Amino acid sequence: MAQYYPGTSKVSKNRIHFADPDQELEKLREISDEDIVKILGHRAPGEEYKSVHPPLDEMDEPEDIVREIVTPIDGAKAGDRVRYIQFADSMYFAPAQPYVRARSYMNRYRGIDTGTLSGRQVIEVRERDLEKLSKELLETEFFDPARTGIRGKSVHGHSLRLDEDGIMFDMLRRQLMNKETGHVEMVKDQIGIPLDEPIDLGEPLDEEKLKDITTIYRVDGDAYKDDKDAVEVLHKIHVTRSQGGYCPE
Amino acid sequence: MDIEIFPYRIISADTTEKLLNGIESLDDVRRTVIHGPRLPPDDPDLDPKYKDKREITVKGKPIELKIRVGRIFVDLTSESAIKEVEKICDEVLPFGYDINTSRSEYIRKHKTVSDAIKYGVEDNNLPDELIGMTDQTRQLAENLDYIDYDEVE
Repeated sequence: MAQYYPGTSKVSKNRIHFADPDQELEKLREISDEDIVKILGHRAPGEEYKSVHPPLDEMDEPEDIVREIVTPIDGAKAGDRVRYIQFADSMYFAPAQPYVRARSYMNRYRGIDTGTLSGRQVIEVRERDLEKLSKELLETEFFDPARTGIRGKSVHGHSLRLDEDGIMFDMLRRQLMNKETGHVEMVKDQIGIPLDEPIDLGEPLDEEKLKDITTIYRVDGDAYKDDKDAVEVLHKIHVTRSQGGYCPE
Repeated sequence: MDIEIFPYRIISADTTEKLLNGIESLDDVRRTVIHGPRLPPDDPDLDPKYKDKREITVKGKPIELKIRVGRIFVDLTSESAIKEVEKICDEVLPFGYDINTSRSEYIRKHKTVSDAIKYGVEDNNLPDELIGMTDQTRQLAENLDYIDYDEVE
């Protein structure tokens, strides 16, 4: 049985919940396919997918056993471009965070490339597959309209104090609180180009729910040092890695 | 003495208005400086329901709020006033705050070379109570608001 994360605390359970592809994520909101395309900003809704090579069926590929074993994903089959979506997660109890995202993406999706940076996580994949997985990432527990930012660029803000209404700082002000409805709306796409119509991302999750599903250890939530098992495994990795690194003969 | 109020969230215009009115109503408060990231310039295309930038009224005087308030420095004449400030903060900042007193001064009290170049050393000298009240790189009049307590009811 795969071991996704050590520990006994709620945070470690949540990390396993995200990383284990067999566990289904709770769907929290509904965002239409067209809105996803608008948020991504890679093509206009209804526009054909641009391609970088002809469909694989029409290509003369060299004899190769790996090509026979691996089933290509839909986008690769059609020759789509590789596009991306990037998230910034606030350290104030955002549901996901970069390393958890990386582990989960690797376990849950095929044909992707993901990169972890200090406050953000990018995922790159063929365009039509990207749209499918973006929908899943935005509609499920991975995303909170206030604490998670969809940010293709200008990602600064994950470690800053939140605004009074709970929204994470965003230099380009893409996700804004609609004071009349209490919902967060996306007024710009992920790289900051204004949208014709705002996209409703729904109500921010309340503090209790966030603390319940968060994957971030914090002293004012679940402290890492209290999770004895997780600390022990980390310690073991540290020691064996140091000893292995010294290459004792 | 100076204190720093450090709210756990960046506060909105409404809360800033309440907090400043509360602080300014205390007799022991001499000067108040608000500090934080600047709000973006007014965007005419942005729907009013998303807007943060607005004019606040402190003690009857309209003040254009140009920043999002992250810290408030208050110059107090006596230490006992901290309790009263705490009382106001408890009411207005339900998400939590710190009151820091560790530094001897949070608002600069001595003149710098920049002050001398900008305001002169003799005739056009900067009065003591205005030292440290504004950003070095900006015009004093742009960032400073007086409340005339003779006119406040």
